[in-house]
Amino acid sequence: MNRFAETLYDSYGQEFRVDELLYEDKTDHQHLVIFHNAAFGRVMALDGVIQTTEKDEFIYHEMLVHVPLIAHGGAGRVLIIGGGDGAALREVAKHRQVDEIVMVEIDSGVIDVCRKYLPGHSAGAFDDPRLELVIEDGLEYVTRTDAKFDVIITDSTDPIGPGESLFGERFYRACHGRLLPGGVLATQNGVCFMQLEEAAATARRFRSIYTDWHFYSAAVPTYVGGIMVFGWASDDPQLRRLTRAEIGRRYLQSGIETRYYTPEIHRAAFALPRYLLEAIGKACNAAC
Amino acid sequence: MRRVEAIHPGRGNYFRDLARIHGTPVLLVDSQKIRHQYLALKAALPGVKLYYAIKALPHRQVISVLAGLGAGFEIASSGELELLRQVRINPRSTIHTHPIKRDRDIRQALRFGCTTFVIDNTEELLKFIPYKHRIGLMLRLSFRSDDAVVDLSRKFGCPPEDAPELIRLAARLGIHIKGLSFHVGSQCRTPDMHVHAVNVCNQIIRQTHDLGAAPMSLLDIGGGFPVGYDRQVPSIETFTAPITQTLKQLPLHVTVAAEPGRFLVAPAGTALVSVIGKAWREGRFWYYLDDGIYGLFSGQVFDHARYPLAVFSATGRRYPGVLAGPTCDSIDVIAENVMLPELHIGDIVLGRQMGAYTIASATGFNSLPPAKVVILDGWRPDETRLAPARTMPAKPRPA
Ligand SMILES: Cc1ncc(COP(=O)(O)O)c(C=O)c1O
Repeated sequence: MNRFAETLYDSYGQEFRVDELLYEDKTDHQHLVIFHNAAFGRVMALDGVIQTTEKDEFIYHEMLVHVPLIAHGGAGRVLIIGGGDGAALREVAKHRQVDEIVMVEIDSGVIDVCRKYLPGHSAGAFDDPRLELVIEDGLEYVTRTDAKFDVIITDSTDPIGPGESLFGERFYRACHGRLLPGGVLATQNGVCFMQLEEAAATARRFRSIYTDWHFYSAAVPTYVGGIMVFGWASDDPQLRRLTRAEIGRRYLQSGIETRYYTPEIHRAAFALPRYLLEAIGKACNAAC
Repeated sequence: MRRVEAIHPGRGNYFRDLARIHGTPVLLVDSQKIRHQYLALKAALPGVKLYYAIKALPHRQVISVLAGLGAGFEIASSGELELLRQVRINPRSTIHTHPIKRDRDIRQALRFGCTTFVIDNTEELLKFIPYKHRIGLMLRLSFRSDDAVVDLSRKFGCPPEDAPELIRLAARLGIHIKGLSFHVGSQCRTPDMHVHAVNVCNQIIRQTHDLGAAPMSLLDIGGGFPVGYDRQVPSIETFTAPITQTLKQLPLHVTVAAEPGRFLVAPAGTALVSVIGKAWREGRFWYYLDDGIYGLFSGQVFDHARYPLAVFSATGRRYPGVLAGPTCDSIDVIAENVMLPELHIGDIVLGRQMGAYTIASATGFNSLPPAKVVILDGWRPDETRLAPARTMPAKPRPA
């Protein structure tokens, strides 16, 4: 019986028993594996780092998608950058008021592999008629396109790796230009206890581009090391100041079913621990 | 004067066959010998984890053979890392030891899954601030040795007296120095400098510990384990015995690692080159071979090695000769002033102990293609014990 040890950190890490190796690809300077583990179901790892598992992906994807979509309230056009496994797309597709979804993924191979080995992630969403799938580098797409969106979501890998350019100033600036009035950008920003610099760097870039920005959090078991954070950037400060009642009303109206997301969690997720506030240069959670 | 062994031609069929099959120049690498060397060093350094310095002979099959025995791998560049990736080496058993790296080298190593790096100065330490939660650093100390054929402490390494300061700075930055490393030089004649270095490191590790800093738990004693070229070297157990004794003084929480290159692969390599030209100039035979200083014999320049050479000849008579490489450069001479049996075009010249730092540093000068590398699994049994050269009274050919 084999084991998979994550190679993210030198002195700490998680290990999985590999009950069955389902897929392995070491071509193109990257190493992609999918295996089955008794506790987490099918697990996908890229370059030694866990990307997603069947058992806990709902936490990540619901928070990545529903927080910005419900906060926006009337998003019709949604852009997803990355997210080749299809789960962010699946969650976006749950929102009936969305009439156009553009998903930009750099590697069509990842989509094929995930549709085959992680079918529950996309759950048929790749066949949604509202979807326009673009196989292209995310940074190139947002810098060249004229299209504008209500919500932009980046579902990227770690900044050390193929997702690097999706954490840069140029990308955040280009996204800003692609947002419709009242639009919002939500990003994957890592596990802040272990990778504080990642959130701090994003904060520095957001600060110079967006009127209102912050982070919100969720604890995803296989992104080890405590809470992970999502970046939040918009020119409309009201989006993250909705009341619990308003969020609850929108949630009910949307009719979506969730397993992690609740209106209370939505609000509470923006309350950040003191060490993170210090790292992103904010004095408090509320007004600033 | 360099001696060239003469082997009876009857014993040369095996090599002639290999030369015919693979062509020359060719580097034959015996994987059984690599296994033997690895196990010998493992036995001579009990409890020490060995990381093969792949720069010595960066070859996929060599890496696979050593991985099969449980070796780890020492890398110094992103190119070496790529080679390990191709051979599917577990990144957990790799260490990146180049003291100077670009940000993108660090990122590529992290992306591969290698999280151990080496620094020896402040600038290099600062490069790790963004990655401090991911990595473990070793601080490389310098110990100059006159005893080593190749000095590896001139260009790199922090003087031991500066180490505490750098360790304190790292702690202030929140970067953990998990251990110390040194590389006293390659092809060391004595273990004295290793012993001295271990003693100094032991002191620093204990002092740091006493100061209440995060404990250092790793000591990497580098390479330097010698093999016999033109002169005898002590057996590996003899060489390592005093090192092993000194390592026993380390605190129990310290793990020891080594980065052997030469010792593991040099004895496994045998070069075959062919005589492609012959001239009589100024009282000597000049033999032009199909590879030389710019190729397989580059170690004579870069690694200061003098490889034991052999030819296949039954005649007892010897003449002054020169073995020269194929390029147009006049420094491309492998051996001058040697006494040789008369050779003929097509004859084979054999070089022993040529696994390490030979093909690895070959250039493409004159657009000559590099020698082929052929991995064998053991020599044919009747050829393993080649007769030692019979010393023939050499008589110069009358002019
Ligand atoms: C950092 C480092 N480690 C290990 C080695 C291997 O040394 P040796 O071949 O003497 O074992 C070298 C050789 O240059 C080196 O620079």
